[in-house]
Amino acid sequence: MFTVIRSKEAVLQALASTVNRDPTASDYRFQDDPYLTPKTSSEFKLFSLSQESGRNAAKYFISTYPKYFQKDYAQPHIPCLMPETLEAQIEEVSEAALIERIQMRKVKAAVDLYDQLQQAGTPVSLDVTNQLLDLICFYGDCDPAQENVPEQRNEETEDVQDEPQTKKGRASKASDKLKAAWKENNNAERIFALLSEPNTHSYSALIRGMVKYGAYSKAFSTYTDLLNNQLKADVSTFNALITAAPEVKEKYNEKWELIVDLLKQMAEQKVKPNLLTLNAVLKALRRCGTVGKSQAFPVISEMRALSIDPSLASYNHLLSIFYKPGAPFQGQTDILQEVMNEVSGKSFTPQDPDDAQFFITAVRICLDTKDIEQAYRVHELLGVGENWRLLGNDFQQNIYHARFFSLLCMMENIDVVLKWYRDLVPSVYYPSSNVMRDLLQALDTDNRLDLIPQIWKDLKQLGHGNRQTLVEELLTLMAREKQNQEVQETFAECALDIKKMYDTGDRGKVMMSWTAGSLSDLVSVLLAAQRRQDAWEILKLFKTHNRVPSEELLDKFLTCIKESGDVNQALELVQISAGFCLPGTPKLIQRVQQEFLLSEQQKSMLSDLEIQTFNSD
Amino acid sequence: MYRRLLINIYQVRNGLIHTQNTRLPSTKCKERESFAPVIWAPCTARPLGTSSISFSENKENSTSLSEDKEKRPEENEAKEEVNTDGQKSTEISNATLTLQLETEPVDKPEDSKQVEKTKSGKESLLELLGAMKVEVTTVRKIRPSKTPRMSERPDQEPMESTHSMFQHATAEGSQQQGTLNPALVAAVSAAASTLPNRHQAESELLKQLRKHEAVPDTQRRADGQNIGHIIADMKVGGRKTNGRSSARPTSQIRFDDDGKGYTQDRGITGELDAVRRRKSPFTSKRLNIFTAGMEQDTLSVLGPTLWDIDLANQIVQATNQAPRNGFEEMIQWTKEGKLWQYPINNEAGLEEEASVPFHEHVFLEKHLDESFPRQGPVRHFMELVITGLAKNHHLTVQQKKEHIDWFRDYFRQKDDVLKEAEA
Repeated sequence: MFTVIRSKEAVLQALASTVNRDPTASDYRFQDDPYLTPKTSSEFKLFSLSQESGRNAAKYFISTYPKYFQKDYAQPHIPCLMPETLEAQIEEVSEAALIERIQMRKVKAAVDLYDQLQQAGTPVSLDVTNQLLDLICFYGDCDPAQENVPEQRNEETEDVQDEPQTKKGRASKASDKLKAAWKENNNAERIFALLSEPNTHSYSALIRGMVKYGAYSKAFSTYTDLLNNQLKADVSTFNALITAAPEVKEKYNEKWELIVDLLKQMAEQKVKPNLLTLNAVLKALRRCGTVGKSQAFPVISEMRALSIDPSLASYNHLLSIFYKPGAPFQGQTDILQEVMNEVSGKSFTPQDPDDAQFFITAVRICLDTKDIEQAYRVHELLGVGENWRLLGNDFQQNIYHARFFSLLCMMENIDVVLKWYRDLVPSVYYPSSNVMRDLLQALDTDNRLDLIPQIWKDLKQLGHGNRQTLVEELLTLMAREKQNQEVQETFAECALDIKKMYDTGDRGKVMMSWTAGSLSDLVSVLLAAQRRQDAWEILKLFKTHNRVPSEELLDKFLTCIKESGDVNQALELVQISAGFCLPGTPKLIQRVQQEFLLSEQQKSMLSDLEIQTFNSD
Repeated sequence: MYRRLLINIYQVRNGLIHTQNTRLPSTKCKERESFAPVIWAPCTARPLGTSSISFSENKENSTSLSEDKEKRPEENEAKEEVNTDGQKSTEISNATLTLQLETEPVDKPEDSKQVEKTKSGKESLLELLGAMKVEVTTVRKIRPSKTPRMSERPDQEPMESTHSMFQHATAEGSQQQGTLNPALVAAVSAAASTLPNRHQAESELLKQLRKHEAVPDTQRRADGQNIGHIIADMKVGGRKTNGRSSARPTSQIRFDDDGKGYTQDRGITGELDAVRRRKSPFTSKRLNIFTAGMEQDTLSVLGPTLWDIDLANQIVQATNQAPRNGFEEMIQWTKEGKLWQYPINNEAGLEEEASVPFHEHVFLEKHLDESFPRQGPVRHFMELVITGLAKNHHLTVQQKKEHIDWFRDYFRQKDDVLKEAEA
């Protein structure tokens, strides 16, 4: 009989594949409680972090007080819901106790127990000792810190803008290394020295630990030791050594020669390389300058011949070899295009931690080269299969979308930009104020300033309503040209809304302060919409905020007053102008005298003013 | 900003193409003036447009060549102005400029050819021949023996593509130098065979063709010198079209909303170049360190070490594992063992019974051993019981056995009562 073997998730997978992304809905995480739907990127971070930290808190309590969580409701029994045992159960000094401590990753306790066993003269098998070496080398002879959840890492980078992220990532890695360096004669080396016949596994553990904690040259000398003992290294040892290769040599050529030498030794010892070998070589080539460019493709061909297909991490390294950030790329054949030809339409599974870097690297290159065509291909690739998982965590997703959207704003027609804008914002992406400025520029370029009121609404919702530079730019754009009546009307509404933003000062956040430019822009917008009364109110704000209006603005205002023929207001305007001691006041007085019908009293008042200004000059 | 520059350049280029293709005075530049008023002053755009119109008119009406030559410097000057306008765009427009200059000398012979063609009596036939000739040369182009200039520029520029065919035609002609291509001769004779006076027609055609070969050659040399002067004056040289600058502008411009008439201009040669270019660096030579079918020495593998677990953990942390919808969350729970598994066949939940064959469930008579009477009401009752049990799919075999065992015990306890009743 013919039966199809399906995994136990098959039905759910089929069902899940029927659900498409809804561009109007927020992330699935937030759908439980509509009240907690994030509207800004900071809210998004806050809510997702609190969810995660809630889980962690629960886990912490269960693990700390397991005695209160012994009742097993589940039928059948669900192991993962029960508290883990964190205390060692076996008290006696035996190999079993050592194994238990190794499994619980208690480095110090395991080392102590091993020493006790040695002192008592109890032999410990080589396998267990190797496991112990693994444990010590992995944690660099320190007890592991409290388990870290990926979400928590973002917290520190919260205020960092989009661009310097890569720096941040590197910095945190570097600090990890600084925290725990390989110490001379640490427990790992001591226990290793006690072994009468260390095997490949023992050497492997030691070398990997040394590479992980920065003792690169020591790793190579240990490898020489291994060869002298007539042993063979395993593939992970070679991978670690290849990673360390660029660290121990100075010149590009020497680095590459060392890598080739290691690869040749692998072939000699009949060790089959794996994907991680390929990625390690490519990653090392990133630090080999021009040699990297010439050797990257032969390396990939070599691995292809061994039927090792590159993963996204390999392509990421490849792109990094050819496109250095900040460096100009000239005379370069289009590597990105070639890479995209290779990967397009393929679904990738995560195989390397660096896989998650590919998309942001690719889109960065698109942004640098202004290559919108490839950017679309990158974005398309993201939609294939499970590739969306490889976009990485929230922070990386944000960078990716910021770059992609900036590129769109720069290169695309505004209609296309807005289509993407509606698709991405805010369901997957909360744009930063810089990106919103790009969008405004795109609006400006394609002469679609009539959309500004809509964008302002979004800006407010995204929490950028109090970014002074952004708001001022918005006002300038609205005030710059005269639009048709309908648009002017919406502009005026929008401008008044912006004014409210200045007034309220959102919950203790930094209030925006009026500048002469923003005030006069606001007045111009209102005047253009024939809202003289509102404009008059704004004009008064000049005085309260100690700003000085420009002469052109007052001139414009006067023209507007003239249309309605309000003599009193015209006089008040002149008074205001005189109050600021503007040099253009006499001109204004002259205009009022000529263009308005004045009573005797008003005339005398004007002449008084004229004399005053004359005297003050 | 960047896009605005690109739009400008493209407008101009579009303007040129449109006038040449449609031979109508193009208002394209004028229409777009409002679009990008900042950089593109209309005064620079217009001379360009008009010169290109006259350029195309020349071609059509076949007026004297000298007039055309007069026009050309003007156009070049206009082009130069384009260069100074956009700072970022200089590279791109330089590329187009050099391309255009390269293609222009070839254009001239074609004009002269057309002049003669119109005089000829068998006009339609000659046109046919012209078409044939182009075809022959483009087929040849696939082989590597062709003008090196073409291979330098993989991507076709719009200006070039309109002329490229003729260019190949003349390039081919210069190689032949009087002796005509045998394929061409064959084509001529084939064409002539359709006419009544076969031999005369054939020789006439061949003569005509030879004339075409001769005229352009001399003329081209003269033109080449002329162009040489212009190029020297302009000092365009500097950057030759490298791979990037030739590939980039087309791909960017293709996204402009006004790409009409452009893609079809690319022509056969463009496609051929694209095919040749598709030789990916991914198929480059290998290092030849490892041998392909290498057998790995099997090391003692003890299952996943701490390092392997950590690698898996790192991968999980690096990737996005957050579910996108309820089903994906349920998948996650299923993997963690928190959720009842969705049935994937009709044996869901029968894990403990999976190894038990069906007859154990159905044929339960063997359990009615000698502890039950061979006949009588008890036997009859028990037979009914096992019939019922055989049909019950809720119980496991073990439970069915226990059920029968319970009755066995029960009847054993009631043994004396049964005996009394003589059952």
